Amino acid sequence: MTRQFEVTLRDGAARLGKLRWKERELTTPHILESKEDLELLKKAVTDNEELRVEVVSDPDDIGSREITADVVILGAALRFERDPRGLSRALMSVRESINPDAALYTPALATPANLSMLVYAGVDLIDTVLPEVKAREGFVLYTDGEDRFDETQGFPCVCSACLGTAVDNAAIEQRIARASEHNQVALRAELSRVRRHIGQGTLRELVEGRCRATPVMTAFLRLLDEAYPYFERRAPLVRTATLLACSQESLNRAEILRFNERVISRLTQREGILLLLPCSARKPYSRSRSHKVVLECVRAFRPFINEAIMTSPIGIVPRGLEVMYPAGNYDVPVTGKWTCDEKEWVRGRLIEFVEVNSFTTVIAHVDGPYREICDEAAAMLDVDVVYSVEDEGVLSPVALQRLEEMVKDAVAAHSPKRRDVRFDYIRDTVDYQFGKSTSARIFLSAPKVRGRFPTYYVSDGGRRVATLVEKYGTCALTVEGARRYIGKRASQYCVWIDDFVPKGTVFAIGVQRADPVIRPFDEVIVLNDNTIAVGRALMSGWEMQRSNRGAAVAVRHVEDR
Amino acid sequence: MKRTQNHEARDQNVSASDIRANLNDHHVRSRTQPVAWTGWDLLNGETVPTLTVVLRTRGCYWARRKGCTMCGFVCDSNPSATGPDIYREFLGVLARFGKEFKIIKIFTSGSFLDSEELSPDVRNAILAELKDVPKTIIESRPEFVTDENCEEIARSNAHVEIAIGLESSNDYIRERYINKGFTFRDFIRASKAARSSGFTVKSYLLLKPPFLTEAEAMRDTIQSVKDTTEYADIISLNLCNVQRGTFVEKLWKKRLYRPPWLWTAVEVLTQTAGNMPIICDPVAGGMRRGPHNCGICDHEIVAEIRRFSLSQDKASFKTTCADKVLWNFVLEFEEYSYGAPLVP
Ligand code: SF4
Ligand SMILES: [Zn+2]
Ligand SMILES: [Zn+2]
Repeated sequence: MTRQFEVTLRDGAARLGKLRWKERELTTPHILESKEDLELLKKAVTDNEELRVEVVSDPDDIGSREITADVVILGAALRFERDPRGLSRALMSVRESINPDAALYTPALATPANLSMLVYAGVDLIDTVLPEVKAREGFVLYTDGEDRFDETQGFPCVCSACLGTAVDNAAIEQRIARASEHNQVALRAELSRVRRHIGQGTLRELVEGRCRATPVMTAFLRLLDEAYPYFERRAPLVRTATLLACSQESLNRAEILRFNERVISRLTQREGILLLLPCSARKPYSRSRSHKVVLECVRAFRPFINEAIMTSPIGIVPRGLEVMYPAGNYDVPVTGKWTCDEKEWVRGRLIEFVEVNSFTTVIAHVDGPYREICDEAAAMLDVDVVYSVEDEGVLSPVALQRLEEMVKDAVAAHSPKRRDVRFDYIRDTVDYQFGKSTSARIFLSAPKVRGRFPTYYVSDGGRRVATLVEKYGTCALTVEGARRYIGKRASQYCVWIDDFVPKGTVFAIGVQRADPVIRPFDEVIVLNDNTIAVGRALMSGWEMQRSNRGAAVAVRHVEDR
Repeated sequence: MKRTQNHEARDQNVSASDIRANLNDHHVRSRTQPVAWTGWDLLNGETVPTLTVVLRTRGCYWARRKGCTMCGFVCDSNPSATGPDIYREFLGVLARFGKEFKIIKIFTSGSFLDSEELSPDVRNAILAELKDVPKTIIESRPEFVTDENCEEIARSNAHVEIAIGLESSNDYIRERYINKGFTFRDFIRASKAARSSGFTVKSYLLLKPPFLTEAEAMRDTIQSVKDTTEYADIISLNLCNVQRGTFVEKLWKKRLYRPPWLWTAVEVLTQTAGNMPIICDPVAGGMRRGPHNCGICDHEIVAEIRRFSLSQDKASFKTTCADKVLWNFVLEFEEYSYGAPLVP
């Protein structure tokens, strides 16, 4: 268990933290800049006094060795400079075998171009060694790559090292000194950028841009993305930052894959009529003009049908999850043209969605690329897909009228059960967060929904059970809701704590056991023999179990058990 | 000897079994004729013509068993070559090149004094042919440099110099990183045995075994020269190069090893020259697998090292180059990479 390091904020595998060392408190990610620090850390490997430091040279060979150091050094990390496969494997394998509250150091590897990606993969400590080597090899480093300084007339840079100094005729030693200074400034600048992005929860967006600097780095990100479980285990349930899907790699984000996985595996099965709609720029979709117009025209029938939205890169969004991250909170470049990857992705999600539910009729009020996707999907499904739009556009009166008639006829033909459209949001969100058929367990009779979209309060049997929180798109349970959820055998989404009454923040040190499935921002139930509480997870469940330091749960309500 | 912190940190990464496992796939090269070539070398302060003959014995028994981490010598591909064959071939080489050399080197890719490689009859017959040559250099591991063996070959009246691959005077480095299988004390004993039979002793030192940083390697070799002065008459500095099929090659391919900088060799030579002859032939100098600098200055420095070997004159080293700044940085900071060379 670590003593000197604490993670204070997480953004996926990346973290901000505090390292107490030699009467200092360093904010991580941190750059070890001075030779003294490098030397002190090296000494600590053998001294093991205040700071416990351990070197892992062969990540494949950790075996059952228990590593409890505060700082773990990936030995000879520089060997992976041009080996993205080796690097991604090594980083993830070390990270998974050490305590989550241990700081990971990759010596002599960071450059302005790769810093963001190292941190994204879970690195906490870096140094300026490689930028200094590169300067002496004749390279000026930038976040987008490097220049040889005899190929540049001065450096195209206005940092403190470069500003106002002409290097055209300078002696080689002067050029090296300046390049060295610039390279270190560039590294520091990138570090503060990276920290800011972690703070905002947008490091992924930065990394998708940075990885374009070299094929090695693009490969590195793609290889990391192949490790879905590694990132899913660290990805928060929701973010307040908007997910920007600006690159091909955006499709591979853990949060997007997880969203689709849960839509398929956790939601209550639907039947009857499915209305497919195109996405809108404004989120949640039902606040957009296009959705308002369409919904207005089928308003009378909405309690009898299911709605789902087709979108890149999210896939298929059931109406009830339109507020949930990332569906409620993403942005994509809109050109009207979809790439093959996007089409293939959405088509796959549509097929899956129709297959796991039991629709009798699918009405698609779509055109353009959406229609192409529907056509391709329909060829592989045994449900007929009918279109309410021909070539007049989804908002044209003709198409809208056709839609209204189709829906009306379908409802008349199947006479489905009437539902409260507002309750769909609660049902889908609760199932999405807590697992299949949770809603059936919590809502016993006829739940009553109050409030204005999307802030809904749900009571059941006269007692408040859950609230849909607009800010996060999540459902917060009341203690009554929690009691109904855990039933007699508390297990999922539960955190067992020592014998104290939780107030405010529960720290990892007080956690006895936690469901490993819990992710940051999940609603959790905090338990011990005498109390039951509800709150929001601040770290993953497996991390609570394996950490000594850091805030684990923000508690909202406590009651006697 | 001294076991430093750094070595402990790295030791997790090496074990004798690793080394063994890695050495089993030594390349096997076959040879049907003895190899011989001529060159120049230093004798009593003079540059003299030399002949080198490599006999095709079964080769080093140690290489066959475990082998040293950097050594590309392999088990014999022609174990049927008998003593008489080898002797006949040796006479053939003498017939071709003559005996008019001041120095003749008889190498076996192993130990000349190992009777499993070369029977006593054959080695005595070979040496007897060379009794008029001012210096005959043979190579042997110290365990074969016994009083008995030395007295026996002394009877040939050849002027023998025994070259022993000590590599480093540091037992820890020699054992753990080179896997040499003998101690500095073994070397001292062998040196005494050789000298009491009237032979001179040459000590091979290895600049930059695996797992040492550039600075550690430099310090180790400088220290080794000092430690060896008493027990050797001449030092031959071998700049480690990456030979096929060796453990060092595996490390090199994983970017965990880099041959020494030529600057380091120059530094070792200038710091140690003067007390005793120290020679150096930068094999594969300037190549990626051999000792190298930035690629611009390598050629000149290799030439200077060769010149120095013949003259022992420190003034041979004149070249300067911009990469010296980089080399200095490497000396100072390579230990903070925890095992990877800072510059490939
Ligand atoms: S270096 Fe010498 S002792 Fe070691 S294996 Fe090679 S020939 Fe044998
Ligand atoms: Zn600059
Ligand atoms: Zn040079």
